[in-house]
Amino acid sequence: MKRFFLFIMIIISGLVLSGCLGKREINDLAIVMAVGIDKGEDGLVKITAQIVRPADSRGQTGAPSGQTGDPIWSASSEGETLFEAIRNLSTFSSRRVFWAHNYAIVINEDYAKDGISEVVDFFTRNPELRMRTWVMVTPEKASRLVSTLTGLEVIPGEALDKLFRYTRISVQAPKTQMIDVQAALTNEYVEPVIARVRLTKKGVSNKKPGESGAIEQVELAGAGAFKGDKLVGIIEPEEMKGMLPFIEKMETGLVVLQCPTDDKKKLSVELENHRFKITPKYKEEMPEFDIHYSVTGSIVEGDCVLTIKDRPKIKGLEKQMETQLKDQIETIVQKAQKDYQSDFLEFGNIFNNHYPAEWKNIKSRWEAVFPEVKVETTIEGEINDSSLLFKSSANH
Amino acid sequence: MKIQISNGMFMALIINLIYAKAIGLTQGSMAREIGNDMWVATFLSILQGLVIMFITIKVLKRTPEHNVMQQSAMLMGKWAGKFVALLLFLFLTAAYGAVLATFVYHLNDYFLPDAPILVFVLIALLVGIYATFFGIEVIGRMALIGVLSLFLLNILILMGSISYFDIRELMPVLETGIGRTAWASRFHNTDWAIATIMAAILLPNVKDKGTWGSSGIMGLVFSGFMVILWPILEAGVLTAGVTGDYIISCMQMARSAEIGYFLHRYEMIMIAFFALSTFTQIMILYLCASVCVKELFNLKDFRPAVIPSSLILSALGYLLVTDHGRSMIFIEKYWVIGCLVFAIPFPIILWILGSIFKKKLKKKKLEAQNKNKGQ
Repeated sequence: MKRFFLFIMIIISGLVLSGCLGKREINDLAIVMAVGIDKGEDGLVKITAQIVRPADSRGQTGAPSGQTGDPIWSASSEGETLFEAIRNLSTFSSRRVFWAHNYAIVINEDYAKDGISEVVDFFTRNPELRMRTWVMVTPEKASRLVSTLTGLEVIPGEALDKLFRYTRISVQAPKTQMIDVQAALTNEYVEPVIARVRLTKKGVSNKKPGESGAIEQVELAGAGAFKGDKLVGIIEPEEMKGMLPFIEKMETGLVVLQCPTDDKKKLSVELENHRFKITPKYKEEMPEFDIHYSVTGSIVEGDCVLTIKDRPKIKGLEKQMETQLKDQIETIVQKAQKDYQSDFLEFGNIFNNHYPAEWKNIKSRWEAVFPEVKVETTIEGEINDSSLLFKSSANH
Repeated sequence: MKIQISNGMFMALIINLIYAKAIGLTQGSMAREIGNDMWVATFLSILQGLVIMFITIKVLKRTPEHNVMQQSAMLMGKWAGKFVALLLFLFLTAAYGAVLATFVYHLNDYFLPDAPILVFVLIALLVGIYATFFGIEVIGRMALIGVLSLFLLNILILMGSISYFDIRELMPVLETGIGRTAWASRFHNTDWAIATIMAAILLPNVKDKGTWGSSGIMGLVFSGFMVILWPILEAGVLTAGVTGDYIISCMQMARSAEIGYFLHRYEMIMIAFFALSTFTQIMILYLCASVCVKELFNLKDFRPAVIPSSLILSALGYLLVTDHGRSMIFIEKYWVIGCLVFAIPFPIILWILGSIFKKKLKKKKLEAQNKNKGQ
């Protein structure tokens, strides 16, 4: 009886467990590396998928035998919804569109002004997609941007991925992933802020080195500020230095200062050890915030004679640095409070964390209260390093 | 001779029974109700679980050789024992619905969306029946492997998500108030309730009777440690809003985890660990259900009851999980009510009855001992 049962079990298991239900052969897949979303005609959604050609994307340029030499195939389709637009892709894609390796979702700003909740819903509902996919807005046609080769990479989607991975050095845009956008949209007191990219003619052709700026490249270009799911304004790249401490852990940064001995000459200070703290207060039934930002700097470049032991001059530089950082912070706070009236800096959330009982009285009118909230900024800057040089002697 | 398992295996059975649903489905339900306080609710629930587990073990210790159905028969007569067996079987049938939903939605929704649900139900049925036939010792050993795999799963999720953790997302604590948070703990109560019922059925098979109490309590404490990591991470990484958006919120955590730049989408490794534990959970439920059927029909061994009881559990479970909406209504509403109305008062009532009919129980116990000696 036991053997008979075992035999039956093996037969049934063989039938059920050895199958390949839901299998997807790699050569049947159209692997999407980046996707662009634009407004289509007649109120439709236009989707552009940048699909990798595996045989042509092995780092080789030119067209080896039997191949096209083009590492990607970009295809667009339209539909009433994103899902319909994607399904319409399959009417001319010879392979099944596969999203699991998608690096980036690029949304055109005109589309984003009407709301991105459909995009977030679609991409967070889909089990194929990773939650750590980069999301960005662009003033360009998203279809054009996703097809543009940037940097050293063969696949534009991979280039976008690396652009964001290393944005901590450039401090030109936030590192926005789908999970961040979804989290901001589900939190009724936090407004989303999404990285912004644009095309710029900064690439130099090796074949025509004289024609500087002949090749379009994708560059990080600040951020888009949202109110709810709608894009309401742009934060320019130069304003990002003031904005990033609010939403990300800062690792580096740069300020360019005037030389203490000569106003026309410049000096670069790399910022380290960022400590950014917002302390909420509650006075006369109104929230107030104290921002305390302390940072240390290292002189990494100087066109003037200066030694780190010259304390009076270093003090002067520290003052300059503090003024610059304070301006940056105040500009972005002003933009959030007055220009866009959008709490993308998360003041409401911080207040709620410290004063939950008081927040209950304020939260329903936060939209009206937020622009009037008093924000004080204190900067503490210290320059305590001059890299390898003890004194600069270049101008002696 | 009665086959017995070690106290460590018993602890492992508890952990495996509680973990799978508690980290995802349960946290999603709690996040929808109380937001970032889901970890507090989980903690409060564990405390309640400790009390009920303590009472259950106290009840079982009165007749250490007999399970709760046999003890009920001793207290209130043969038919009362059968009635309790029937109630326990119904409880396990409903519990299997929640367990099957957890198993199927993890695999079907995230890994094999094109595969029919019936395949997952059949696999659970076949693997479960096969293991149950080998009895409690094999399942106990599987449970030990299950705990090891859950431990590895916790390490993997911690490594992949700690860099994204933001403690501010856990604040303010008790935002919705202690009352609402305590009420939300009912979702996790349904998870440990299965473990206390399992203890009521299988405890006589645990070797060292002297340390039953500490094993039961420690089993719950360890499972609490392993489970509570998830709501803390889910709130701090995903945020409570996102956690509440999903049916299986732990899979969203797994999908978001990355170890460095090169190791991401390793949820396939995590789900393999998870599946080991879930299969063990399924086996335990089949075993408990079979023991109930054995008591109901006065069978000598539980094995003839394995296939019919597993088929009943699977058939009803299948009907439930084919519709996501229906199973979520069941899990969040009817299962919570049914489970807690039964699982919490059940050991308390038995404890009170045992105290009232102390002499009768003692007499019946002696009779049973003499009968065993005579045999």
